[in-house]
Amino acid sequence: MSTGIIWHAIKQWVGAGLCALLLGGCVSATVDEMTYNEPVAGIGESSVVILGRRHAPDYDTEFDFIQCIGDHIHSGDPSIDVIGEIAFINEFYPWFEPRTAPMQPETIDRLLQLPPVAERFAAMQLEYMIWIDGNTVDTESAGSMSCGIGPGVAGCFGFGTWGTESEYEATIWDFTDKVEVGRVSAQTSGQNYMPAVIVPIPIIAPVQGTACDSLGDQLLEYLSAHH
Amino acid sequence: MGEASLASTIFDRESAVLGRYLLVLSLALLGTGCASKQVVVEGNFPTPLLDPLPVTLGVIYPSAFAQHEFFDEAKGRAESDWLVKTGEAQVQFWDILFSGMFEDVVHIRDWETVQSRGADIDGVIIPAIAELQYTIPTHTNVKVYEIWMRYQFRLVDVSALHQQEDGALSFNPEERLAAWPITAYGKTPTAFLQTDEEAVNLAAVVALRDAGAHFVTTFGANPGVAAWLDGIAARQHNGIGPEPDVEGAEVSPNIARDDAATPETARNGGGSPAEDAAGEAMSSAETSGASS
Repeated sequence: MSTGIIWHAIKQWVGAGLCALLLGGCVSATVDEMTYNEPVAGIGESSVVILGRRHAPDYDTEFDFIQCIGDHIHSGDPSIDVIGEIAFINEFYPWFEPRTAPMQPETIDRLLQLPPVAERFAAMQLEYMIWIDGNTVDTESAGSMSCGIGPGVAGCFGFGTWGTESEYEATIWDFTDKVEVGRVSAQTSGQNYMPAVIVPIPIIAPVQGTACDSLGDQLLEYLSAHH
Repeated sequence: MGEASLASTIFDRESAVLGRYLLVLSLALLGTGCASKQVVVEGNFPTPLLDPLPVTLGVIYPSAFAQHEFFDEAKGRAESDWLVKTGEAQVQFWDILFSGMFEDVVHIRDWETVQSRGADIDGVIIPAIAELQYTIPTHTNVKVYEIWMRYQFRLVDVSALHQQEDGALSFNPEERLAAWPITAYGKTPTAFLQTDEEAVNLAAVVALRDAGAHFVTTFGANPGVAAWLDGIAARQHNGIGPEPDVEGAEVSPNIARDDAATPETARNGGGSPAEDAAGEAMSSAETSGASS
C-alpha cells in the first residue's frame, strides 16, 4: 500500500519534471531599438568598444555579459574590431572607472583635452563607444527539496522553481561627432526548474544568453554592412 | 547461521567506518563555519594615463600603511573571523600611481635618503588609512561584497622631516603643506563558483582603483596642494630649486617607523559609507596611521 503511494508520488514528480523539460527552454524577450545615422558601409578599419555601467549602488553590469555581446558582434562580422572591455579600462585608467566614466557623449571632449588620452584614442581609431547598463536577477522562487545522506544512500527529492529576469539597455555613442546615435534595449525573462528524484536536474532558462543574443543582433545590424 | 554472522560482522565494520567518515565530515563542515578567513589582497594595477607633473615627489609609507590589515571578529557561530591584509597591495598600487602621476618619485625610508635626495625633492607625501569597512552578503542579505576606505594624505616639505634619536623619521604636523581625505569604494557582485575570499579581494582591488581615480581627479583641487604646485611652477619658471632645511630638531610624530601595523577592527552594520564620509575628519592618523 505504502509502496503504491510512493510510486504515485514519484510519477507525479517525474511528470512535473518532464513538463519542466518541455517548458524550461522558454524565454520571452522584448527588444526595442531606436538608432540614427547608421553606418551603411560599415565601420571599415575603425574599432568599437563595449563598456558596462557600474556606477549604480545595487548592481553592476556583468563583465561576462559585455564579453558575450562583443563575441556575438565579432562572430557575426569578423571585420568589426571589438576592443576588450578590461583591456580598454586598464589602458585608459583612471578615466573609465565607475567614478570617472563619462555619462554624456559631450564630456568626452574634456577627456580629449588630455594629450595622452587623445593620442591613445587616435591610435585606437575608435568609431563607436557602446555603453551597456543593466543586469540579470533571480526573482521569486517556489517549491521545496530535501536531501538526505545515509550509509550507502544519498539523494534528493522535491521540486523547485524560480524566475530570472534580464534588463539591459545599450547606448551607442558616435565617437567622431561625440553624439548619441541610438539606444537598444532588451528585456528577457524565463522560468527555471529543478526536479529532483535522487539526483537534482537543473533546467536553466538561458535568460541572460537570450538578452545577449537579442542585443548583440541589433548592435550587429547597426554596425555591420553585411547584416 | 555462520554466514549470517559473518555478514553481520562485515556490515557492522562498514557501518563503523562510514560512521567515522560521517563524523569527520560533520566536524569538518562545522569547523568550516567557524574557521577564520584570510585574504591577502592581490591585483594587477594599471599605470595611469597622465602627463606626469614636473615634480619630484618624496613618498613615505608608514609601517601601519605598508603592513595594513584589518581584523573583524565573528559575531556569532554562523559567521567567520575575517583578516584582510591590504598593505602590500596598497604599496604596489600607490607606487604605480605616483610613478605615473609625477615625473620622479623618491621613496624615503631613512634619514640618509633625506640627506642625499632632499635637495631634489619638491614635497613629501605620506598616506595613511584612516578607516576601512567591509560588508559581505551574510551581513547584509544583499548579493554584493563591498569595501570602503578612507585615506588621509599629508603633504609636507622635505624640510619638515626630522630624525629622531632612534633613527626614525618624523615630521612636525604644524609644518605640513596640505592634508586631505580620500574616500574609496569597491564592490563586486556575487558570482557562481566565486569564494568569499575571492570576492573580497576583488572588491578591495576595485576600491584601490577607485582611490586612485579619486586621488588623480581631486589632487589639484586642494588649496594647499594648488599653492604647492604654483610654488613649484614659479620656482621652475625662475630657475630656482628647492632649498631644504633638513636640520630641524623639533619632536614630532614618528612616521617612517611607527608601531607595527595593528590589526584594525572593521565596523559592520554601522552608518553608511556616505554618512561616514560626511563625518568628522580623522585625528589619529598622525600617530597611528590606521584606526578603526
